[in-house]
Amino acid sequence: MKAWLHSVRVLVWKDLLQEWRSRDILTSMLAFAVLSLFIFNYALELSPINRSEIAPGIVWVVMVFAGTLGLNRSFTAEQDQGCFEGLIMAVPDLSAIYFAKLLTNLLMMVFLAVLVIPIYSILYNQSLFNWAFFGVLALGAWGYSAAGTLISSMTVQTRMRDLLLPVLLFPLLLPVNMAVVKSCGVLLGSVAGQDINGWLNLLLVYDAVVTMLSIMVFEYVIQE
Amino acid sequence: MRLQARQVSKAYGAQRVLDRLDLSIDAGEVVCLLGPNGAGKTTLIRTLSGLQKPDSGKVLFGVEAEDENILKLRRNIGIILHQPFLYEHLTGMENLRFYSRLYETALDEGDLHRLMSRVGLGKTRPIPVRAFSRGMKQRLTIARALLCDPQILLFDEPYTGLDQQGCGMLNQLIQEESARNKLILLTTHELSFIRQIATRFAILHHGRIAAEFPNAGVSLDALQEQYSTALGAEKKPLMERL
Amino acid sequence: MSYLSILAFALVLFAFVRVLFFTPVEQTMGLVQKVFYFHMSAAWVGMLAFLAAAAFGILYLSRKDLKWDTLTAASVEVGLLFTIICILSGMIWARPIWNTWWTWDPRLTTVTIMAFTYIAFILLRRGVDNPARRARFSAVYAIIGFISVPLTFFSARLLRTIHPVVFGGGETEMNLNAQMVATLFISLAAFTVLYIALLLQRARLMAQQEELNQQMAAVDSDYDWGE
Repeated sequence: MKAWLHSVRVLVWKDLLQEWRSRDILTSMLAFAVLSLFIFNYALELSPINRSEIAPGIVWVVMVFAGTLGLNRSFTAEQDQGCFEGLIMAVPDLSAIYFAKLLTNLLMMVFLAVLVIPIYSILYNQSLFNWAFFGVLALGAWGYSAAGTLISSMTVQTRMRDLLLPVLLFPLLLPVNMAVVKSCGVLLGSVAGQDINGWLNLLLVYDAVVTMLSIMVFEYVIQE
Repeated sequence: MRLQARQVSKAYGAQRVLDRLDLSIDAGEVVCLLGPNGAGKTTLIRTLSGLQKPDSGKVLFGVEAEDENILKLRRNIGIILHQPFLYEHLTGMENLRFYSRLYETALDEGDLHRLMSRVGLGKTRPIPVRAFSRGMKQRLTIARALLCDPQILLFDEPYTGLDQQGCGMLNQLIQEESARNKLILLTTHELSFIRQIATRFAILHHGRIAAEFPNAGVSLDALQEQYSTALGAEKKPLMERL
Repeated sequence: MSYLSILAFALVLFAFVRVLFFTPVEQTMGLVQKVFYFHMSAAWVGMLAFLAAAAFGILYLSRKDLKWDTLTAASVEVGLLFTIICILSGMIWARPIWNTWWTWDPRLTTVTIMAFTYIAFILLRRGVDNPARRARFSAVYAIIGFISVPLTFFSARLLRTIHPVVFGGGETEMNLNAQMVATLFISLAAFTVLYIALLLQRARLMAQQEELNQQMAAVDSDYDWGE
């Protein structure tokens, strides 16, 4: 177990260092997100009241789409430079590779949220600075990263790569999408006091189930 | 320490790449695996390292492989494949540092520097691997393979991308490791370099070891001769076989 | 023609005749309600096919025999067919009853997401050439796709309970007497047998196609190109 955690830590650090050097993924995700917010403004042209109601929806949709840019790149280094084999020979269990990538993708999504929230607040003149709201986004990002990491580890090995990721991933994300948007709506006060426990439970169950399942099947994805 | 492949078979669909292959290598030997393209040399190396499981047959490491701690076994194998296993945005030292930590070796900065020097990269500036030439990447890959001081070295076409000096460096390195009683198997097409250091040649053809002979100071021409003979009888035009 | 196919054909024909001529017309909805028997059966088969695909996937991962992979792929294809039939028949039924082609009803949402997952599965298989890798990926996706179905259903249902808005009609009562229930079960049984027959046919065809591809590849690689 200690060895497993150690390898996860080393792998995450390596990924973060790689990203810090190139800053490819984070900058494109951010640019995509901000531009999308602009597009939404003109596409939706809503009154302030309506706008506040759909804020969680817009923020989450922007994160989901921008997130695919990051997910598509998660395993390209491993695939193109053959690093999978180097890692397989080194880690105590292949699930460590999956979990480390999940954490890396999660951190990138959280980073994205940290930047999108203030930018949205400024552009749309509505304060989204709410810890609970951020917490739910993070939980949603966990579910997103859990499913996304598994799917991208498969699509990176196919011919179609980037093209295939959204097609495979989005049908699996419906529960996360619903749960995040609905509970955030309540938390921001735009939807009248409703019980969000159901949604939060659903989100936690999804995160747990998908993570556990992915840990179990990951070895079949990367090893011949 | 002995590495053995016993009746190993591997097929990709209807294509039999390895067909009940037997091979054994002892510590201190430098075995060179020869064979035409597509003969299955890479598949054999991957199977011996554990990256791929054979369809049937066994790979044994002195002791029965199943009992050994798989991780310890894997970390005791230094492998070089066609791709360099390197992270493009990190520098050479950072790549080594990463793998060294992942393998949980006890190497410190000094040791890593010495390893870099040993492969001829001691004087490189800290630039990302992206900017390395093919030869430099290959040298770094060799360094990476030696991080754990593994007992078994499996090198698939290690001379690729290396210049004359690099090939000389690799030869010297292999001789040093062999003198330390390591078990070395490599594949290559560079007959001129390999015949200086190999202890034995094995020719892989049609999924089996078609010929094996010791390297008794045989000349380059004789070697070519033996190689062609082993392959010669096998090629038949399609119509004859249908 | 195998015995199973003949049996399937006979059963479906029997169910069809029974639905049209030997089952009473439902009082609130009228004649169009009869689509329900086939709609429900198609939905049942869609779910069954998905479950079977996930089960075959697990069997492949543990046994590594490609015949399980063929069954997984065949099950998904047949399942997709029935799911589309289910959605279309549902739409045909909904239009006169609720005056709308689509509702965001939990079951409809779940079934449609299932259809998208099926399509994604087929696209995934297209994108991988190596048969062993394709089999592994298919198995993994079938399993994770299957697990997401109940999660999707519960989300959609949670949405419904929190927003009890009636979409163009909402939950309409349907009265079924004993005879209609019997017809429903006959229909379900007939469709299940049809599923199995189609599954085996499709699997057989896929296996033969794959074997042909392998033989062609082997011939190509053996060929002495005169070098």
